[in-house]
Amino acid sequence: MVKFKNVVKAYENHVAVKNLNLEIPEGELVVLIGPSGCGKTTTLKMVNRLIEPTSGSIFIRDRNVKDLNPVALRREIGYVIQQIGLFPNMTIEQNIDVVPRLLGWPAEKRKRRVYELLEMVGMDPEIYAHRYPNELSGGQQQRIGVLRALAAEPPLILMDEPFGALDPIARESLQDELKNLHSRLNITTIFVTHDMDEALKLADRVVVMNQGEVVQVATPETLLRNPANDFVASFIGKNRLNGDSLQSVVEIMLPDPVTVHPQMGLAEGLALMKRKKVDTVLVVDEQRRLLGSVAVETLDREHKRARTIGEIMNQDPPLTTIRSQASAKEAFDLIIGEKLKYLPVLDENDVLVGLVTRNSMVSALASAVWGDVGE
Amino acid sequence: MGDILALTVEHLMLSAAGVGLALVVGIPLAILITRYRTLAGFTMAVTDVLQTIPSMALLAALMIYLGLGNQTLVVTLMIYSLLPIVRNTYTGITGIDKGLIEAGKGMGMTRWQLLRMVQIPVALPVIMAGIRVAMVTAIGIATLGVLIGGGGLGAPIWRGMQIVDSSMILSGAIPAALIAILCEFGLAKLEKAVTPRGMKASSPAKS
Ligand SMILES: Nc1ncnc2c1ncn2[C@@H]1O[C@H](COP(=O)(O)OP(=O)(O)OP(=O)(O)O)[C@@H](O)[C@H]1O
Ligand SMILES: [Mg+2]
Repeated sequence: MVKFKNVVKAYENHVAVKNLNLEIPEGELVVLIGPSGCGKTTTLKMVNRLIEPTSGSIFIRDRNVKDLNPVALRREIGYVIQQIGLFPNMTIEQNIDVVPRLLGWPAEKRKRRVYELLEMVGMDPEIYAHRYPNELSGGQQQRIGVLRALAAEPPLILMDEPFGALDPIARESLQDELKNLHSRLNITTIFVTHDMDEALKLADRVVVMNQGEVVQVATPETLLRNPANDFVASFIGKNRLNGDSLQSVVEIMLPDPVTVHPQMGLAEGLALMKRKKVDTVLVVDEQRRLLGSVAVETLDREHKRARTIGEIMNQDPPLTTIRSQASAKEAFDLIIGEKLKYLPVLDENDVLVGLVTRNSMVSALASAVWGDVGE
Repeated sequence: MGDILALTVEHLMLSAAGVGLALVVGIPLAILITRYRTLAGFTMAVTDVLQTIPSMALLAALMIYLGLGNQTLVVTLMIYSLLPIVRNTYTGITGIDKGLIEAGKGMGMTRWQLLRMVQIPVALPVIMAGIRVAMVTAIGIATLGVLIGGGGLGAPIWRGMQIVDSSMILSGAIPAALIAILCEFGLAKLEKAVTPRGMKASSPAKS
């Protein structure tokens, strides 16, 4: 659908885009992401010729955009700008209507289209069609900005940080809506953002850019599993790193396992286990570093011979543990592979931060399969 | 004086003619300089300088070329109206949010469509304010028209001054002041009327 071939955009003292090569198949939603100034907007605007490349070519359905009339080209491409840019002198209907009007659609067809679009995003046309942009909330204005780009049923739409200015809740719901629209209409979409969560949520493929260059092009899963280099990794963020498409082990562990100190008496330990309804406790020192564990059977068996937990804690086979940076999947593999009942999670200083049990694993799986069902 | 009414109408027509000519010349000029920004500074400087020439001097100078009569008055009024009209049109159009221009262009508007659908309508309140200032100024300056053989309410004012007849002065000055106030008022109303609901000051359009 869209093909960038050796595209360069150089300004007098700055190269905004360096030798970009990228192919976007029909129907794909591609997200361009990268830090401020890395050339995302420049890349986008070269597609509809708001900016002309210094060298290289861009093809849309095998037509070189350079050979097309820019005005006609832009009418074929939906465009959502970062600042929304709704025309304050026009009603919502007139705003959505702009491109169909420019294309000379008959009036009834245009009106039908406007109403259909408003209904699609759950805004009652009877209420909103005749309002002005300043009579809508920020989120509603953003929706109109997107509808306006969809109005003439373009085969391609370009979106430059369309949800940038919104609060997180409005943002989430617009992302859901966009995802929904995209899967229904299958319009090839190039979406710019600098929010990794947004990129991972929306993208079929993510294009990570830095300083005018493409650093990695990958599906969200691949990006998370195999970031191409440190830049991508740090951009993805630590807590998502190594994560499966599921999540990090920290998200599935029980954060507050039952622990005891080695000085604790056996009777007290037994009472604690009964009270907390657990059959194993983890033994930690003052710094919460993991020393060992004691199962309830061991406690029962030894309580005549020994006085404190410390004396009996190393009778069980050595504990298998996992680091908190690991992914949930690694934890699952360990528990299943080694037939563990539980798996303590330690940070880099061996401090106990949580515990994965078969139970917590099952509920994490359940929420991945059926959504959040409560733990 | 029964012909005060006729003089008032004539005064208004002359002022309107001057402002009208300034619109015909000034608005295209202002639009032109929004496209060729290098011309903008120069044009603004020229209109500024014209504005500072004392009206008597300008009238006299133009009289040399255009002779006695209303034509000289109308051209003088046009020159004085040029500044508020060009300046307001220019700042109105260039002050428009860049996002609107980019949205319009990006959606495939031609320059002309952008001007007609976005730039002029959005700048219209500012342009109207310029026209209002021009009109009120023109009504004032037109009272000098009598000195170069022009018509309007200047005649009773100047004759009254020569024969020290205050009632004659007032018979010209009061209607002149009245039409100035009425124009100011009427054009302010019109300005409101042409401002779309979405751009009313109470809730400025976010874009
Ligand atoms: N007209 C220009 N002249 C010179 N440099 C420019 C021009 N336009 C953009 N640049 C530079 O090109 C680089 C890329 O700009 P671009 O707008 O594409 O960044 P971006 O990735 O969209 O950033 P952001 O996330 O902040 O929107 C920036 O460093 C910018 O300063
Ligand atoms: Mg940008």
